[in-house]
Amino acid sequence: MMKGGYTGKILRVNLTTKTIGTIDTAKYEEFGGGHGIGSAVFFDLVGDQLPFDAFDPRNCIIMMASPFSGTFMPGSGRCEVQGLGPMLYPIEWFGHSNFGGRFTAQLKFAGWDGIVVEGASDEPVWINIVNDKVKIESANGIWGMDTWDTQEEISRRVVPDLKYGEWAELAENCFTTQIPAVVCCGPAGENKSRLGALLHGPGSQAALCGFGGVFGSKKLKAISAIGTSDVPIADPKAFMDARLWYRRFQWDVDNPREAERFGTGGPYALISGRPSGGNTLNRDIPLTPARAAACASCPRGCRMRLATSDSNESVCGGTMTITVQGSTKFTRQGNDLMQKYGLGHWQLIPLMGYVQTLYRKGILGKGKQIDTDLPLDRNGTFGYADTLMRQIALREGIGNDLSEACARFAEKIGRYEEDVNSGELSLAYYGTANHYDPVIEAEWGFGSLLGERDLMLHMMSNYPIHWMAWSGDPYLTAEETAKLYTDAMEPYQGDPFMVDHSDGPTGIYSDSKVKQVAWIKHYEKFWVGAGGFCGWRWPMCITNNTADRRGPTPRAEEKFWNAVTGNNLTFADYMEIGHKIYTLDRSIWVLQGRHRDMEVYPDYIYDRPTRGHDMTMYIDGKWKYDTGAGRKLDRAKVEDFKTRFYKFEGYNHENGYPTRATLEKMNLGKVAAALEKKGRLG
Amino acid sequence: MPGDKKAGNKESNVKKGLSRRDFLVAGGTVAAVDALIASTPAKAATPSPPAAATTYPASEGYLVYDSKKCAGCTTCMLSCSLVHYGVQNLSRSRIQIIQDSFGKFPNDIQMAPCRQCKTPVCVQNCPVGAAFVDTENGNVRRIDSSKCIGCRTCLKMCPQQPHRTVWVVIDGKGKSSKCDLCLDTPYWNEKGGPGGKQACVETCPMKAIKFVAVMPEQKETEGYDVNLRNDHWLNLGLVDNSTVVPKMDLTWRILPGGEE
Repeated sequence: MMKGGYTGKILRVNLTTKTIGTIDTAKYEEFGGGHGIGSAVFFDLVGDQLPFDAFDPRNCIIMMASPFSGTFMPGSGRCEVQGLGPMLYPIEWFGHSNFGGRFTAQLKFAGWDGIVVEGASDEPVWINIVNDKVKIESANGIWGMDTWDTQEEISRRVVPDLKYGEWAELAENCFTTQIPAVVCCGPAGENKSRLGALLHGPGSQAALCGFGGVFGSKKLKAISAIGTSDVPIADPKAFMDARLWYRRFQWDVDNPREAERFGTGGPYALISGRPSGGNTLNRDIPLTPARAAACASCPRGCRMRLATSDSNESVCGGTMTITVQGSTKFTRQGNDLMQKYGLGHWQLIPLMGYVQTLYRKGILGKGKQIDTDLPLDRNGTFGYADTLMRQIALREGIGNDLSEACARFAEKIGRYEEDVNSGELSLAYYGTANHYDPVIEAEWGFGSLLGERDLMLHMMSNYPIHWMAWSGDPYLTAEETAKLYTDAMEPYQGDPFMVDHSDGPTGIYSDSKVKQVAWIKHYEKFWVGAGGFCGWRWPMCITNNTADRRGPTPRAEEKFWNAVTGNNLTFADYMEIGHKIYTLDRSIWVLQGRHRDMEVYPDYIYDRPTRGHDMTMYIDGKWKYDTGAGRKLDRAKVEDFKTRFYKFEGYNHENGYPTRATLEKMNLGKVAAALEKKGRLG
Repeated sequence: MPGDKKAGNKESNVKKGLSRRDFLVAGGTVAAVDALIASTPAKAATPSPPAAATTYPASEGYLVYDSKKCAGCTTCMLSCSLVHYGVQNLSRSRIQIIQDSFGKFPNDIQMAPCRQCKTPVCVQNCPVGAAFVDTENGNVRRIDSSKCIGCRTCLKMCPQQPHRTVWVVIDGKGKSSKCDLCLDTPYWNEKGGPGGKQACVETCPMKAIKFVAVMPEQKETEGYDVNLRNDHWLNLGLVDNSTVVPKMDLTWRILPGGEE
C-alpha cells in the first residue's frame, strides 16, 4: 500500500480508439516513479513487439511524474518523457528527455502520476486534464499554431472565464488561482521533424530524442493539466524538517558569503546554486530588469523573466543557439523563435554549424551540389536564422532534409561516414552532439555511450570539477575535491580514484572509473529519472555553501524520499533500483538491436589529440589539476573498460546483453524471457 | 503576445480591487455589505451577520513580501499546505502566488498573502463567528473552519483579489480558511503566530516574505509589497527600474560575509 507521494493512478489514453483508461501505479512501485515506471510500462505495453519505428502508432509517449512532483522537494520539478526517439541514430532507441516548469506538479494535483499516450489520431487533438475529468479535444484552430500561442489558446479553452489574479472554481469546491500547465509541440513537431521538441511555458524544452515529432505523428498537439487535489505525504513533519535542514545547502540570497567571491556571471556559480544565471542573454549594460524564475519547488531559480519578456524561462542552449550579431535583443528573440517553432536546441546547434561547414566547403548553396536558396552569406542575422528555422520546421526546401536531423541528413547526402568520423559533424552519441570532452572527462563520454544519447547530467562529477578548475581559483585542492566528492558516492565511497581523470593506472580506464560510471548510470536512472530531479541541481556532492564543503548528497535523497513515500530504505538501496532500471532500459535497447559493438565513438574522438581541460588528475603519486592536453583515447583500453563495465553490471561482456541471473535477481524474469525469445540473452 | 494580454488583465483587476476595497472600508456599513451579498448567489443559506464591530484590536503580526524578489517556486504555498493539512496542495495554501510565465517583469507575479486587515471584513461579516480575532494569540484574524457553515460570505466580502480567504474541502465539505500566521500547524514542530515562526517565511529560498510586528501602511499594495533586497541581490545582476544598474563584470564588490 502506497503511503505518500503517489496519487495511485496513471492516465492511459489511446488516440486510435479514443479511449481513456488508467493504470494502477502500485503495480509499478518497485520501479520508484518517473523514468523507472515509464520504462516498465513501455516494456509491458510494447516490449514484445519491438523493433518498430518511432513514428509507428505503436510507439508510446510516456510522461511520468515522480513521488516528489507537486511537493516542495528542492529541484524535483522535471517531467520525464520516454518513448522511441526519432532523433536517435542509427536506431531510434527507446529514449528519454525531460523538461522543467510546473507540468508534473499540476498533473499530480489533478490526481495523476503520469500519462501514457498510445496509438495515433486521424485528426489533430489535444488532451484536456482537469482533475479526474479527461477529454480528448479537437485541435481545430490550434494545429499550426506556434508553441506559445498554443498554450495561450488552450488555457483559454480549459478555463474560459479565467481571470489572471483571481480564483477560478473548476468544479464544485475546486478552486485554483493557477493557469493550466500545457506541454505541446510546435510546427516542427507537427511536421514530424526529428528535431521536434516539446515546449512547456516559453522556454522549458524537452530537447532530445525528437518527441515533438512523435506528438506530430500521433496528431497530438498538446496536453494540458490543472488540478486542485492533494498529494499525500507519508510523514509531513519529517518532510518539513528535511526541507528546513536543506536550507544550509542553498545559495543564501541575502548573504552568499564566499560563494559570491567567484563572481556571479560564470557557469562556476552553477555549482553553488546561484539564482538566475542560466539565462546568458541579460549581461549587457544596461541590464534589462528581471527576476530569477524557478521551476516548481526549485530553491535556485536559474531562469529569468524579463521586463521585455523575451527569453523568459530559457536557459543554456535555449539562450545560446541563435546568435544575432550586434543585438542582444534580436538574439533573445531569435532563440524565442526557436522555442515557438518547437525545435530542439541541442540538435539545432550542430545542424546549423554543419550547414555552414558545407557552405564554406562549397558543397551546399545556391546552384551547388546541395542546392538551396538559404541566404547562407547572412549567417548571424535574424533573417537567416528565421529562414533556416522556418524551412526546417515546415519542411520547406532544404529544410525537408535538414528536418531529418544531423545524422540522417548527413547520411542522405552521402557524407555521414566521412564527416562524422572526421569530426566535421561533431556528433558523438547516437546522433546527438559531442558535449564535454570524453577524452578527459571520461565519465561523461562513457555515461553517454553506454546510454542512448548525450548524458546531459551536469552535476555529475565532471561538471562541478570542470568549472571549479576553470575558475582559476578553485576553493578545493584537487586532493580535497577527489576525497570529498567520492565520499558522497555511496555505495562506492572511499575510492578517490573514481574522479582521477589522468590516463594512468588509476585514471580513465581503471576499475575505479568503472564504478563511477555505474554510479552515474544508477543515479541517473533512480534519482534523476525516477525522482524527477533537475540535472542542474542534483547530485550535489560538494558545495561552497557549507563550511565543510560537503553537499547534501547522499543524505538528502534518502531523507526526502523516505519522508514522502513512507519507505525506509537507504541511499544504496535506491541506487540498486537505479541499477535495475538501467538494466531494463538496456534490455529494451537490446531488443531493438543494441550490441556492444555499437557502443563506440566516432573516429575523431579517438584520433584527434585533445586540447584538454583542467580536471582532477593523479599523476606521479600526486593529485593536481591538469589538462591532459594532447591525449588520445586508446581504442583497446576503451574496449577493455567496456568489458569490465559489463561484468560489473552483470551483463555478458561479449555482447553487452544482460544475463538471466542478473535479470532474475532483479525480479525481471519476464524481461529475460523476452530476450531469450529473440536469442539475445546474455 | 500572451503575456501582454494577461498583464493587462491583472492591471485592470488590481484597479477593480482598489475601488471595491475603497467602497467597503469607506462605507463600512452592514447595509452596504448585505447589498453586496445579495448581488452574488450564495452556495448555502446566509444568515444575517451578527452586529459588526466597528473597531478591532490590531494584529500583532503581518506578512510583508517582495514580489520582485519572488522566483515563483511556490515553496511557500506548499509549506503552508503541509504544516496545516499534512499534504501538498496549492489550492489549500493560504498564501497564493499567481504567475504568468509569458508575462513581463514585474507584472508576471502577484503575491497574495492575507493582510491581517485593520478592519477585517471577513470577521466583520461572518454570520456565525467562525471568522474571529484571536485576542489570546496576538489578535490574529483567524477562521475556525469547523464552525464554518460554507456560506462563502467571507470569500465574496474579502476586499482583496484574489480573496485571501481560502476554500478548502474538509471531510468532504467546502469550508473557508485563512492565514493564521501558523498558530495552528499540527504538522510542524515549531511554535507559530506572533513571536513564533511562519512556514512560508522559513522556507522561501529567496527570502521574499518577512514577518513584521508593526501594521504596514494600509494602502492597496505599497505597505505590504516592500523591497527586501540588498546589495547581494544586485550582485546577481537582477535589477528593477528603480535600482542603480551595477557594474557587470566578474570583479564584483565583495560584501562582508557572515559566519556559517
